[in-house]
Amino acid sequence: MRVSMPTIFGNIQSQLQRITSEMQYTNATIATGRKYQEISDNPVDVGALMGLNTESSQVAQYKSNLNTANSWLSVTETTLTNINTLVSSTAALAEQMATGTYTASQRAAAAQQVQQYLDEFVQMGNTRYQGHYILSGYKIDTEPFTTGVFAIQPPVMNLQTGSTGAATSSGTYTGTSSTTYMVQIVSGGATGTATYQISQDGGQTWSTAATTSTDENLGNGVHVNFDPTSPPPATNWVAGDRFTISVYQPISYQGDNNTLELGIGRNSRMAVSQVGSQVVGGAGGQNDLFQIMAHLKSDLEANDAGEVGARMQELKDYQSQLTSTLAGLGAALNRVEVKQNAYDTLTDQLTKNIANKGDTDLVAAATTLANQQLAYQAALQAASMVMGMSLLDFM
Amino acid sequence: MSGILGLMDIAKRALAAEQLGVEVTSHNISNVNTPGYSRQIVQFETSTPIPSPYGPLGYGVTVTGIERAFNPFVTSRLDANTSLLAENKSTKTALDQIASYFNETQDSGMSQLISGFFNAWGTLSDNPSGAGERQALITQAQNLADALNSRADQLVQNRTAITQEIGPTITEINNYSSEIAQLNKEIISSEVNGQQANDLRDQRNSALNKLSGLIGVSYYTTGDGTINVTLPNGDSLVEGVNSWTLSSQISASDTVEVLWNGPGGTSVDITSSIAGGKLSSLINVRDTLIPQYQTELDDLAKELVAQVNMQHSQGVGLDLLSKVLSSNYVNNADVVLENNPDLAFGDRITNGTFVVHVEDSTGASTATTITIDGTTTLNSLAADLDAIAGISATVDTSGSENRLLITGDAGFTFGFSEDDSNVLMALGINTFFKGDSAWTIGINDSGTSIGADNVANNSDLIATGQIDATGAHPPGDNSNSLLLADLGDQPVGPDGLTFSDAYQQMVTNMGLDAEQAGNQQTYYQGLVDQFQQMRDSVSGVSLDEELANLIKYQRAYQAAAKMVTTADEMLQTLLTLKT
Repeated sequence: MRVSMPTIFGNIQSQLQRITSEMQYTNATIATGRKYQEISDNPVDVGALMGLNTESSQVAQYKSNLNTANSWLSVTETTLTNINTLVSSTAALAEQMATGTYTASQRAAAAQQVQQYLDEFVQMGNTRYQGHYILSGYKIDTEPFTTGVFAIQPPVMNLQTGSTGAATSSGTYTGTSSTTYMVQIVSGGATGTATYQISQDGGQTWSTAATTSTDENLGNGVHVNFDPTSPPPATNWVAGDRFTISVYQPISYQGDNNTLELGIGRNSRMAVSQVGSQVVGGAGGQNDLFQIMAHLKSDLEANDAGEVGARMQELKDYQSQLTSTLAGLGAALNRVEVKQNAYDTLTDQLTKNIANKGDTDLVAAATTLANQQLAYQAALQAASMVMGMSLLDFM
Repeated sequence: MSGILGLMDIAKRALAAEQLGVEVTSHNISNVNTPGYSRQIVQFETSTPIPSPYGPLGYGVTVTGIERAFNPFVTSRLDANTSLLAENKSTKTALDQIASYFNETQDSGMSQLISGFFNAWGTLSDNPSGAGERQALITQAQNLADALNSRADQLVQNRTAITQEIGPTITEINNYSSEIAQLNKEIISSEVNGQQANDLRDQRNSALNKLSGLIGVSYYTTGDGTINVTLPNGDSLVEGVNSWTLSSQISASDTVEVLWNGPGGTSVDITSSIAGGKLSSLINVRDTLIPQYQTELDDLAKELVAQVNMQHSQGVGLDLLSKVLSSNYVNNADVVLENNPDLAFGDRITNGTFVVHVEDSTGASTATTITIDGTTTLNSLAADLDAIAGISATVDTSGSENRLLITGDAGFTFGFSEDDSNVLMALGINTFFKGDSAWTIGINDSGTSIGADNVANNSDLIATGQIDATGAHPPGDNSNSLLLADLGDQPVGPDGLTFSDAYQQMVTNMGLDAEQAGNQQTYYQGLVDQFQQMRDSVSGVSLDEELANLIKYQRAYQAAAKMVTTADEMLQTLLTLKT
């Protein structure tokens, strides 16, 4: 082929330009640490990288959600475990007091202890995590358990055989501490004839006898109607009939029945909170710890060993429910850990994939650059030799 | 005229011929770097022999002409490929520029912003009452909206820049057409004596090559040495000494129309038949590729607004609303809302209901169900809402824009739930985003100037929870924000993909377009280089060759001069015979 000047110089220019642009690209991959600089460098790989990065960022979010879940579950677990421990202590105390060998004053002292435990339960139930009450459902800004005003409870009857006695309580308590009134019929007969006496210390000391009526003031605003069903049938009290009326401040649940859920994976939710009324109480029912405690305290004040025994059984029932809740929490915490491990592995894998696809292989790139440099130098040398050749040098 | 004088004559013509050789050689050497120059060659021939007793006697050299080394076949292939190279080069440049706005190979691309936005919903779900989490979400959403806005803006600007390039390109085409016609004219008049006007022809070839780079053309040489240039559809750009012009205009549908202005005032739209050259690429990028990207980006933004708002309008934030103004409007408040053409999301309104909860200052709440059907208009909806105790609703008119304004009476606040008609989303009430395209998307700030509540001025209104049947809306409720966070990995975006996947697909396609244009460019560059080399192999000047020729002609000239001396000496000798 005939080689003309434009061919020689055009070739030199285009070859040098090509090597320079290749070196520029290699240099950019080394400087940025990324294999691709433009989406057109490898659109398919860049698209795949975007997918991997999106996934990686999602996983990071799930991991962060899991951390939150872990905190919620741990705080709840700690709280419920503390409650459980204290329930055990209470049950032990109740068991002790259920035996007949204790005196009324010892039971009165135990009642004080139970009150302390009760206050402790309320405080534990009102545990906060990052300023949020953990047991009040969605109403995280509301104390789940609040102590209400003193309420006069209905009488708990303990009648002799043949007695048709019935009583109701009413009134507004004006006292300042919880107490239990014990009422005993001194002489039997219909209401209006029968006489009664009251004791506020579990039967150790008694008031002077008074005649029953439909409205008797036991003191501090506590009223009793000895004949709520009259007429008929007329009540007929028998000497030795007893009933107790306790006055205490009931604890009520202020939260709602929602559980906080967190997203811990694609289409995967995890409940991380417990509903206070279900796990502790405040809403009545069989497993309302506060109610059991209040009753226990009243029973101790009334020096009723049998009823204390019944409360102890209720405490045990409650405890078995709490234990199963705690087991559920443990399982949830375990699930969090398993998920976290899974996500850690996934993150490692994703990071590796991203690096493999998108990061510059520095060794390879440095080698390539060295090769290109060599090629460039060779091309320059060859070019200068070709350019230097001219017939003019020999004329 | 044989004899010594004849010898002198031969020598004289040889001198002249070799001198011409040197002259042409020096012309070649001088033009070694002139683009489009074809080297010229002196055509020597033996002169007509004269009769002699011994037969025809050679009578020296004669110059028949100066030819240029030129291969019309190679040149026309070169021009055709130049046309395709220019088209792909221009497309590649434009696509590279567009792709740089969507460069996802570096940090903080839009893909990251999309996941960041949905992750912010996830973080907010972890702590729905957190002010920091709310602010972080607003910032993420603002970043995403800004990114969409700026990409949309850059696409528009790019399109404008290309529009501005089309006019000058057409002017250039017209200039080359008229230059070729002018050169045709000059070549005809220069070549009346039968000799080729080499340099003019080179100039015309250059002009044809430049014209090919601008627009795909075909050309052919006529008997009288002129070249006629035609467009792919057969319309003539240059015919003999006449040239016709092109012009452009923007059509009603915002596309470029290229018009061929032929003889007698005819004007033909040739847009669809343009192939090859820069002009074809400019029109393709402006009217096909960029609008396609714009549509894809707008679809993404529109679906994002629709899905986020649809879920958001079901929920409630930490505070209830005391005054809201719908962010979308209708021109006529008496036209039914379903499929209302003024509402970007009007087609999504269906028959259904939503619940309005009105809460008084004591926290007591009443719920009222509002029904949307095929007869509901903005006016009737306002009347229905106005009938609810504790709130008043009116149609707020500003110019031709009618918006729904709901205001709580003193001490009353309100919220919404269970909207299965999508009317709240379509009107933009209790929504997160405003707008309906990549260019208009933003945080809902409707009615800020009249003191209305929106998420832009009160992040506590970000709807993390949902009002339940009792009207309760506790601050720890994260049920709505969980559903919003879920939108990030659900196939609710355009084409049944997730938003990230839809964007990824768009960017991959854009990258593939650019890569393809790049590959085409490399391919045609190779062809052009090859044909250029073939052309240069024939037409290019080689200095060594010319130097050799120079010596050749110089020596021949010296020899011819020697012939003169010799003839002269012979004549001298002859003359001395007489003395």
